[in-house]
Amino acid sequence: MKEQIREQMSALLDGELAASEVGLLVRRMERDDELKRAFSNYVLAGEALRSPGGVLASAGFAARVGAAIDSGAPLPAAQPAPERGPLRWKRPLVATAVAAGAALAAVLLVRPEGEDTRLFAERAAAPAQTSISALPVGGSSPTPAQSQRLAGYLVTHGQYATPLGRRNVWSSALATDPGIARVTYESVETP
Amino acid sequence: MANFPPVDGSTEPDEPRDDHGRPASGVEQSDLELVRRVQRGERGAFDLLVLRYQHRVIKLVARLLRDPSEAEDVAQEAFVKAYRALGSFRGDSAFYTWLYRIAVNTARNTMASRQRRPLEYEGNLNESEQSAVESRMRHMDTPEATLLSDEIHSTVNRAIGDLPEDLRTAIVLREVEGMSYEEIAEAMECPVGTVRSRIFRAREAIDRSLKPLLD
Repeated sequence: MKEQIREQMSALLDGELAASEVGLLVRRMERDDELKRAFSNYVLAGEALRSPGGVLASAGFAARVGAAIDSGAPLPAAQPAPERGPLRWKRPLVATAVAAGAALAAVLLVRPEGEDTRLFAERAAAPAQTSISALPVGGSSPTPAQSQRLAGYLVTHGQYATPLGRRNVWSSALATDPGIARVTYESVETP
Repeated sequence: MANFPPVDGSTEPDEPRDDHGRPASGVEQSDLELVRRVQRGERGAFDLLVLRYQHRVIKLVARLLRDPSEAEDVAQEAFVKAYRALGSFRGDSAFYTWLYRIAVNTARNTMASRQRRPLEYEGNLNESEQSAVESRMRHMDTPEATLLSDEIHSTVNRAIGDLPEDLRTAIVLREVEGMSYEEIAEAMECPVGTVRSRIFRAREAIDRSLKPLLD
């Protein structure tokens, strides 16, 4: 009888046990540590065969997982999962494209010919000031004044930096100060 | 124990099928059966999933972390997360694929929270990186643990070598080549029931060799 059960266990591991037999086997294994130990060794044998020299779980690992589940201990604070697939590389490209487009629009549309760079930077930031005042800014975000100063700097920087340098600066500014994006959009939409 | 939403058979997705319209692999089906049992409240079924995938998940996590000694803790966290999220698993992908994603995200979040750069997925490691990681993994724990791991590998290989040829062929075709019982039966020109028995007897022989080492 015991041998028959263990043969069922072996078949279960290979996905070759009839679904109708799984329930009873699971209940038996739940009550019988010797069956679980043998099942664990069946798995171990396969792992050792497939990857000689690889790392293996320690003997009590599965029991520790079970204990952690039973204890209901809270998991560490959830952190946003990183994006997978195409979106992961699209985001910086989109941010860069928006930033570069906005900078270009600001340069072409706003800057009068021959105007001093510093004055131009201040003027580029000025239209955003009125728009920003209507936008809620989170307590931990930079203040609108800080965002404006940074926007002014970025526009100035965009005139002299290489394309790569411009992209890097805009990307990091967007990442650290969401208000910059709003400044940029408003600058373009309300020239 | 987590309360999973009741499984309503009418809302179950279609059974996973391969390109030929056949049901997904036996292991995937078996996993799905265990998952459904967990969803109905059978915790014991989850224990079997942990036993089945513990080595693979730890190996994966160890490759992603720069400090492989953390691999077991992170893998444990991934399994607990998977258990708590299992109520929402619909079987649209294989269970291991789903678990793999959770493990990768858990490892990456761990790395992000510690301001360290994760290694890329195992498929993206170049040869020297792969070698360095494997070297670290082999020394990830105490010398005793490393010794035990090496002894397990050599014990299994010795036990395989001592098997009669029909048992050895059957277990190697199954474990190394990943062939189904039906495919092995065809290759070995014997009934499927004989394949099942040979694989079982091979595993029993290996288990007898491992037992003194692990007890």
